[in-house]
Amino acid sequence: MKHSISQFWRKKDSYYFIKLTRCRKCGRVSFPGREVCPFCGSRDVETYTSRGRGRVVSYTVTYFRREGEEESMPRIIGLIELEEGVKVPGEIVDVEPSEIEEGIEVEAVLRRLSSDNPYGLIYYGLKFIPVLKK
Amino acid sequence: MESLSKAMEKSGVSGNDLDYLIVSTAFPQILMNQSDPARILAQELGLKDLKALRVEYGEASGSAALEVAKSLLEAGRARYVAVVGFEKLTEYPSDKANYAYSTLLDFEYEVVRNITPPSYAAIIMREFMKRRSISKEDIAAWSVNMHEKASTNPFAQLPFKITREKALSGVVISEPLTLYDAFPLGDGAASIILSDEEGLKRASAEPVEVKEITQAVGHPLYLREDLTFFEATSNAWRELSSRTGITIDENTAIQVHDAYSIYGLLALEALGIGEAGKLLTSLDEMPFLNVGGGLKARGHPVGATPLYAVAENYELMTSGFNGLKYDGEYSLVHSMTGPDLSAYLILLKRWK
Repeated sequence: MKHSISQFWRKKDSYYFIKLTRCRKCGRVSFPGREVCPFCGSRDVETYTSRGRGRVVSYTVTYFRREGEEESMPRIIGLIELEEGVKVPGEIVDVEPSEIEEGIEVEAVLRRLSSDNPYGLIYYGLKFIPVLKK
Repeated sequence: MESLSKAMEKSGVSGNDLDYLIVSTAFPQILMNQSDPARILAQELGLKDLKALRVEYGEASGSAALEVAKSLLEAGRARYVAVVGFEKLTEYPSDKANYAYSTLLDFEYEVVRNITPPSYAAIIMREFMKRRSISKEDIAAWSVNMHEKASTNPFAQLPFKITREKALSGVVISEPLTLYDAFPLGDGAASIILSDEEGLKRASAEPVEVKEITQAVGHPLYLREDLTFFEATSNAWRELSSRTGITIDENTAIQVHDAYSIYGLLALEALGIGEAGKLLTSLDEMPFLNVGGGLKARGHPVGATPLYAVAENYELMTSGFNGLKYDGEYSLVHSMTGPDLSAYLILLKRWK
């Protein structure tokens, strides 16, 4: 998967942070950061940055390869429930497929996502690592 | 072109009769290097005196195209409309098709983070198995049933039967999801000719009414409390049933979007047909469910898929399909994008 430099720069807040939305009307918190609450439609919301810590609620070890992926398969993809009480999807790294399990604590870290070519721009974004392995 | 020619021949509607050509396809820019495929198809067919447009709505593109066609007819802006759906998924190595398919998810929050549609299907399947104490062996009943139906469908991509052992022997795509839990990559095209009531006077084929079409947009998976509940499908069904007053059950001819076996099951559950775990033990008693073998075995050429399903149900309600005749008054076609990110329902009704 190749990226647009301008798109990556413009959306860097989304790629480098986990932004959340808290609705002042219905009180619910959601991912990602948006100007409207996805549950009640209210625009009376505030966005803020998650601490990036949570636990794995479900996961899969995937061999599904897309064009342009540089890393070897498999990848571990999980749904992480953040301390703020919302789920986010993410890749979990620094753990073997045989070691991953539900409930483990993870935290978001900045990691390499891909590059234009071996000599080109490198794109970074968030992945999750087990807290104990830090 | 072959599919449209056959549909025109069968309906008795010629290219010159057509007011609109509506093309449904999801990935032509990525997989065919082609934009504006509706105009290209019109030119290929030598048709100048019609209007052509493309409709794209993910894996439900074909359903959306039918809704546009129905709206044009009801508004009196057309007498005859051809809806053509197609997808070419095998022009490049499969990893490019996998990339195109993954763009159905939200690029900024999912695709960039290496989330792909089969990962979500796997997580849903895992949750389903865990919470309801259902095994992979139980779920394999779905693909066995779909392959059985596809084995006698001349239009199926995988027209062969499989055993439960075979279904369980597939390579892992995304644990616990394996090859036989998922649709095959393939090419395909399907066409439907629609007309208003006046236009039927000159048509030669037996008509079926497109009675009602409803649609609903769902939350992304990560915003759902219950990962195994298909809310968009449920909402689309609630709207359809309140508009028409009809009821459906396990004897109704229903086509559900089973890109993954687990999706077919959860779609049936959301439509109120029964609890998904119990349905797994009674699939053989539902001959009119995914009568051509579903996405799982008939195939899933994305832009064409809902039109295949409508065409199969049309045949079923008229001349018969896949060795079966159906005498119910209604049949239903469900389609959706990804894990119920959006859902469409099309209700077909026997003509007067």
